[in-house]
Amino acid sequence: MIKINLSALTLNFSINKKKLKAISNFLEKKTHLYLFAVLTGLSLGYFITFYINGLGLSYNDARSHLDIGRRVVEGLKPGVAQLGSVWLPLPHILMVPTIWNDFMWHSGLSGAIISMISYVATGIFIYLILKSLKVSILGRIVGVLIFALNLNVLYLQSTAMTELLLIVTSTAASYYLLLWYQDDKVLNLVKCAFWAMCASLIRYDGWFLLLTITFLIVLHSYLKKGYKVAEGIFFLFCTLAGLGVVLWFLWNLLIFKDVLYFALGPYSAHAQQQQLDQAGNLITKGNWVNSIKTYFYALFYNNNTFISLLGFLGLGVFAFDRKINFNTKLSSLALIAPLIFNIIALYLGFSVLFIQGINGNTWFNARYGILVIPFVAVFSGYLVSKFSSLKYVLIGLLIFVTFFQFTSFDAVTIDDARVGSSQKNVSEVSGWLAKNAEDKPGFVLISAASHDAIIFSSGLPMKKFIHEGTGAYWDSATTAPDRWARWIVMRTYDDNDSTWKMVKSTEGFAKYSLIHQFPFASIYELREEFLKDLNTEPVLPK
Amino acid sequence: MKKKIKLILLILFIIFCTLILSLSVRGLSGNPNGWDVNRNEWKDDGPFELSPERGRFALTYSLIEDKSFYFSEAIARFAIPDLGYKDGHYVSLFAPGVSFLVSPGYLIGRYFGVSQVGTFALISVIAILNVLLIRAIAVRLGANAIAATIGSLVFLFATPAFSYAVTLYQHHISVFLFLLSVYILIRFKNIWFLSIIWFLAMLSISVDYPNFFMVLPIALFALAKMINIKKFKEKLNIKIKLYGILTFFAAVLPLAFFLWFNMVSYGSPFQLAGTVASVKDIDNQGKPIAPRNASVEDARKFTNLELQDKQAVNFFKTRNMLEGFYIYFFSPDRGVIFYTPVILFGILGIILSINRKNKYTNLLLSVLAANVVLYSMWGDFWGGWAFGSRYLIPSYAILAVFIALLLTYWRNKTVFLICFFIILAYSIAVNTLGAVTSNRNPPQVEVLGLEKVSGRQEKYTYERNMDFLSQNKSKSFVFQSFAKNYLSALQYYIILVSIISATSLILLISLRIFYRSESI
Repeated sequence: MIKINLSALTLNFSINKKKLKAISNFLEKKTHLYLFAVLTGLSLGYFITFYINGLGLSYNDARSHLDIGRRVVEGLKPGVAQLGSVWLPLPHILMVPTIWNDFMWHSGLSGAIISMISYVATGIFIYLILKSLKVSILGRIVGVLIFALNLNVLYLQSTAMTELLLIVTSTAASYYLLLWYQDDKVLNLVKCAFWAMCASLIRYDGWFLLLTITFLIVLHSYLKKGYKVAEGIFFLFCTLAGLGVVLWFLWNLLIFKDVLYFALGPYSAHAQQQQLDQAGNLITKGNWVNSIKTYFYALFYNNNTFISLLGFLGLGVFAFDRKINFNTKLSSLALIAPLIFNIIALYLGFSVLFIQGINGNTWFNARYGILVIPFVAVFSGYLVSKFSSLKYVLIGLLIFVTFFQFTSFDAVTIDDARVGSSQKNVSEVSGWLAKNAEDKPGFVLISAASHDAIIFSSGLPMKKFIHEGTGAYWDSATTAPDRWARWIVMRTYDDNDSTWKMVKSTEGFAKYSLIHQFPFASIYELREEFLKDLNTEPVLPK
Repeated sequence: MKKKIKLILLILFIIFCTLILSLSVRGLSGNPNGWDVNRNEWKDDGPFELSPERGRFALTYSLIEDKSFYFSEAIARFAIPDLGYKDGHYVSLFAPGVSFLVSPGYLIGRYFGVSQVGTFALISVIAILNVLLIRAIAVRLGANAIAATIGSLVFLFATPAFSYAVTLYQHHISVFLFLLSVYILIRFKNIWFLSIIWFLAMLSISVDYPNFFMVLPIALFALAKMINIKKFKEKLNIKIKLYGILTFFAAVLPLAFFLWFNMVSYGSPFQLAGTVASVKDIDNQGKPIAPRNASVEDARKFTNLELQDKQAVNFFKTRNMLEGFYIYFFSPDRGVIFYTPVILFGILGIILSINRKNKYTNLLLSVLAANVVLYSMWGDFWGGWAFGSRYLIPSYAILAVFIALLLTYWRNKTVFLICFFIILAYSIAVNTLGAVTSNRNPPQVEVLGLEKVSGRQEKYTYERNMDFLSQNKSKSFVFQSFAKNYLSALQYYIILVSIISATSLILLISLRIFYRSESI
């Protein structure tokens, strides 16, 4: 009879608790480094993936952001004035050091690298926030991974969009606010102010964050130290934090002669929303139910329904956690600011967001839902730590849904970019320009406000284009196009296209032939017999 | 003496469940052949009202009567629209486990001249085993025996599990395999028992492929049993029982069966049934054709079957989750809140269990959550035409365990018990309605299209079952064969509801009266 000795098939060993503690401490001390390495690897890997599959530049806005940065350093009239007023300037300013390089411009890396750095930094800030909330190391790592393995985040960090930069600055501001609430150190207040100022120069969401943080700071100071100190702290904080907003007003006044040009000008979001409103497409305006419903759909689609619900559950538990003091709870409200801002913006008609099947049959700005990811990540991580007896269940489920998010390639931001109103397939127009205008002398007259995607996709140098930002060139070309523009790209019969609006009734326009009519624009070319009078060199002073 | 009384009461409870299920099991008398089952009295108007029971019965019939894994033309027509096509043969689109496991029922039924009833009755037998397992697990976790009995009764008669215990679906078999695995994990410490768990886990995949994801938590807990960690003041002692790996061999048998079935049916051991090209219609020559209402693109796929690209994991999409949660919990056509609100008491049981640090809460919660999360990603949340949320039947079973614990914890709270009974009675009434009538309830999203075709108002909630009943119709075998001569369908239904509700009330009163102040 064969007898099997089972003890020989048993692995028995002991670990000294002190050694275990020492290893654990060592690992915990180095967690930042490990996180940095993992996040950097993920960031690079996904940038390369989306670069290779061509999705990295699907968003029309990504191409426009890159063009704005490029116009600062290259074009018929380069300079800081090219930062314009359509978007807040920080993302484009940060592109300037790299955008001069053609590869960095056309690969989108000049903008993506900012998003990539933001991605890595946000992961670390989420870790730090959870650490200051005394969340276990496991909860902290879970929180970071919820952020880092979100496919929408991975996509947006691979593009020249502004979401990740806004997320990192908001998260950093929230982190330093939390620290200041905990220790009252002025340095943390200054750091908070710096990041809030940065956020206010990226998107208008940052302005709401600035207001929220200012309110929380004043409230904290008032409750703790009375009116006089609160007043002092208010001025200290706002001097730095509000600088960006003040400079933006000043910029608009100096460049566009109107302090509110960014808000009420012809290219502002407000002007776009007015058109949608007139067409009856702004169903969230003045309707709280629609606004909340629309934003929550975007939130659930971007952050994953299950994980978002965990985040909200975590928030609920956090609010009633007796071990967490009131100050910490109050300071954490800054993380919820994007949720409140977006709902209010939709209600007031300042923002537009389409969710396919919910309000309309297309996607538009669905990516706004991702802005609450720090909130979702932080409170989910907190929940895992708080319910330690359920940690394996929760982690198992998180792995489960993340696995299916990747197998079903569920990224609403990619749909938003590829099939929604945020994309434009301009390849026919830009392809024609690339083929026919590259080696021939002469400028292309085009509205950058309407056709930045065409400018980008053509691959032609910026100095080949006469657009709204080229000053005297634009003025001359829209008055006498036949003297300045060999080609005109515009939407025929559409007065929203400023080129058409200004050129249609000029004498010179009769000298052009319509070459092609594409869905997004038509191409006109100056007839051969008029070429002799055409300026083909940048002769006007810069 | 006390043990004997308990045993007698348990036997009485089993008899009670058997009686109710016998009165409810659907069917018609006779041993139908391949062409018989295509008649309306067996299909739409009879026990094979929907394609899941047809598809599974088709394979059982084909194996026993035709001795073939391929369907004859008659059986292929019967199985439409869930019919597969591979290498010139009509094949099953369902995982094979159910069809094999119910074949003894078919054979016994055939002997008595009721082959279909025999097949369906086997599912009822498994449903009774589930009741016993729920009761046993609840008792193991610390529930009072009466509370555990009520919990199991809630599962069987107050949830859509009732409707699926009297027809041929995979749900009760899956639940049986999960519950048995959980019970073994809780009951036995000896590592060799893990071999039964691997066997059951692998078998469950043959019953329904998504079970793979639902047995994962059970498998992980089982794996953890191979590792023992003992904490001492200075050190941790870790013992890994490597010989536990030997228990994996128990999975070989069901795995071999699974691969063999795939090989003989689809030509490859790794081809899953659900990923085979599907056929929705057959022409006069017996060849697959596109259905008349198919779009051009779909028509191309039905006539060129190789164009159908079906991948197992592609059925689950995280984008569906939000809608899935709504359909499962709040929608009027499938929502738990309308069909079985009593089961939601289980959530309170979970909270109390977590607070009381019940050792196995994690295990049960993982299976529950895996079930809900997995099926919320499934494209067809409604389960096709169905009664209630049939995909959540495993969750109902787990929640029933927690209801037993809740009733144990709160058995002295009279107001709670009264509220519980009212909601329980409502849930029993709704689900008995489904069991004695039909599962053919369309999803709300299909109703407008359906109304265009039928030209009348189409109901999609259990009101549809009420209409069915008011037309003096019931699909119960006993009603159709015997009782209809003495009772109307409505009277038959009322008697069943009254018996089940009265039994529940007696059990609840007993629980309250025999309350002991000792804490659990």
